[in-house]
Amino acid sequence: MNTTLGIGILFAYVAVLVLIGYLGARVTRKTREDYFLAGRGLGSFAIFMALFASNITAFTIIGHAGLAYEVGYGAYGYVIGWSIFITPFTYYLVGYRSWLLGKRYGYATQPQVFGGIFNSRPVALLFTVLLLYYTLPYLVVSIIGGSLAFTTISEGALPYWLASMIIIAVSLVYTIPAGLRGTVWTDIFQGLVFLVVAVLLLFAVARSLGGFAEITGQIMVVNPAMLQRDLSPVIAPINWFSFSFVNSIAVIVFPQMYTRILAARSSDKLKKVSLYYPLALAGIFGVSTLLGVWGSIAVPGLVGKDADYIVPMLIQQYLTPVWTVLGLVVILAIVKSSIDSQLLSVSHIVTDDLLTRFRKVSSGQAVFLGRILLIVFAAAAYYIALIRPSAILNIAAFAFSGFSIMLPVMIGALYWPRATKQGACAALVIPAIMLHLWYLGILPAATTLGFMPVFPAFILAIVILVVVSYLTPAPDAGQREKIFGFFAQTFK
Amino acid sequence: MTFKKRLTLVSLIVLVMFVLHNSFWLWDLDSVVPLLFGFMPFAFSYYIGYAILAVLAMKLIIALAWPDPPGEVIDSFTSDGEKPE
Repeated sequence: MNTTLGIGILFAYVAVLVLIGYLGARVTRKTREDYFLAGRGLGSFAIFMALFASNITAFTIIGHAGLAYEVGYGAYGYVIGWSIFITPFTYYLVGYRSWLLGKRYGYATQPQVFGGIFNSRPVALLFTVLLLYYTLPYLVVSIIGGSLAFTTISEGALPYWLASMIIIAVSLVYTIPAGLRGTVWTDIFQGLVFLVVAVLLLFAVARSLGGFAEITGQIMVVNPAMLQRDLSPVIAPINWFSFSFVNSIAVIVFPQMYTRILAARSSDKLKKVSLYYPLALAGIFGVSTLLGVWGSIAVPGLVGKDADYIVPMLIQQYLTPVWTVLGLVVILAIVKSSIDSQLLSVSHIVTDDLLTRFRKVSSGQAVFLGRILLIVFAAAAYYIALIRPSAILNIAAFAFSGFSIMLPVMIGALYWPRATKQGACAALVIPAIMLHLWYLGILPAATTLGFMPVFPAFILAIVILVVVSYLTPAPDAGQREKIFGFFAQTFK
Repeated sequence: MTFKKRLTLVSLIVLVMFVLHNSFWLWDLDSVVPLLFGFMPFAFSYYIGYAILAVLAMKLIIALAWPDPPGEVIDSFTSDGEKPE
C-alpha cells in the first residue's frame, strides 16, 4: 500500500469527522433533549441517512458478502428480501405512533414509551435490561468484525488491537461533544462516502474481472448452482421463512434506530424516509451480493469464516493502492456509523432510564453523565473486543432474534387497548428465556419443529401477550384514554 | 372508509408482500428466466422488482393509513419537546 497516500486520505477523513463534531457541539444545547435527540428536529434527508448508515453494519460487506460467496445470488433475497419492505413498514407501524407519543409526552426511549403506555416501571425496566443485554454484545461484535476487516485490507499493517482502538476513538471524537446531532451529521457524510465508493468499487472490480456479463458467464460455467436457490441447503425454504423473523423486523427494535425515529421533525419527514428506504436497502445489499458472488470466481476456495473477508480481499488483490485506501475508509465509515449510534443509545438508556430510578437527574447532569458513560462503555467494549469472551459472542449470535421477539409487545402496546402490563412482562421474559434454551442447546432442536428458534419464540410472545392480558385486569380507563384517546384524534 | 377498514387493507398489502417474498414455487424459474441486462439472474433481479413494488406498497399504505396529526394534536405537543421533570 502507498503509505503516505493512505495516511493522507485517512487523516483527511478523520479531520472532516472532527470538524463535524466541533460544529455539531457549537449548536448543541446542553439539554438531554438536544444532546440525545437533536432537539427532535431532524429532516427527511438527515433521518434517512442516519437510519441507513446505522442499519448498514460490518455484516453488510463482510458477513453478507461471505454468504453470497458460498450460496450465490440467493443470499440477496434470503438476507434482505423481506427487509426491503418490512423494515420501512415498521417505521410506520411502530415508529409513527411512538413518534406521536414522544412529541406529546416527551418520551425519548423505548423504556419511556412502553413503560408510559402501560404506566408500569417493571415494563420500563424490562425494556431497559433487554435492550442493553442485546445491544452491548452486538456492539462488541461490530467492533471485532470491523477491526478484522481493517487488518485484512491493510495487509496486517494495522494490527487488530490498533484497528479496534482507531475505530472506537474516531467514533468518540464527534459523539462526545455533539451527541445525536454529531452522529447524524457524520452519518450523512459517511453514508454518502459509502454509497459512492461502494458503487465505484463494484464497477472497478467488474472491470478487473472482465465486465458484468463476462463474470456471470464464468459463474454459469464454473458453478451454475450459484444461480439456483433450490440447490443450496443453507437457504432451504424453512430457513428462508424463519429468517423473515430475524433481521428484518428487528431493526425498529434496535434502540439506536428507534431513537432516530423519535428525533424526526414531523410526520411528513418520516413518510419520505419510509417511501424511499426500500431502494437504498436493495441497492447496497445488491452491491454486496454481487461482490460476494463474483469473489467466488476471483478468489476461489475460501471456506467458512474465511469467505467473510472476500470484499476486503477483492479490494486488496484487484484494485490500485488508492482504491485500497478508499476501501479502508468505507469499512471505517460502515463500522463506525453503527458503533457511534449504539454507544450513544446505551449511554442514553442508562442515563435516562436506569440512573433516574435512583436519583433525580437534571437535564444538564444527564448530558454530563451521558458523555461520561460514552467513555465508560467505549472502554469496556474495547476491552471485551480484545479478549473476545465466548459468552459475549454467543449472546451476539442471537441478539437479532432477541430484538425481534420484543416486537409483538411493542405492536400490542401501540394497537391493542386490552394489552396489560402483566401480559407485556410475561411476553418479554418467557420468550427470551425460551430463545436462550434453544440457542444454548439446553432444549433439543427438534422442539422448534425445524424452524429457527426465533419463529416459535415470536409466536410464543404473541400468544403469551394475548392470554395473560385476558387473564389479568384491563388497564384503567384513564390510562387507555391517555394513549388511545390521543391516537384516536389522529387515526380517524 | 373507517380507519379500521383501511388498516385491514394495509394488513392485506403486508400479507401479499410476505407471500411474494416466500414464493418458493417461483424458485424453479431460477434456471429458466434469461439474465436481466445480461448479468442479473432471476434470483437477483426478482428482488430488484420487489424493491420497486415495495416503494409502491409503501406509497399506498401512506395514502391509506398514515394521516398527519391534526392541528389540535400538534398544539398538544410539548413546545420544545423537553420531557417534563
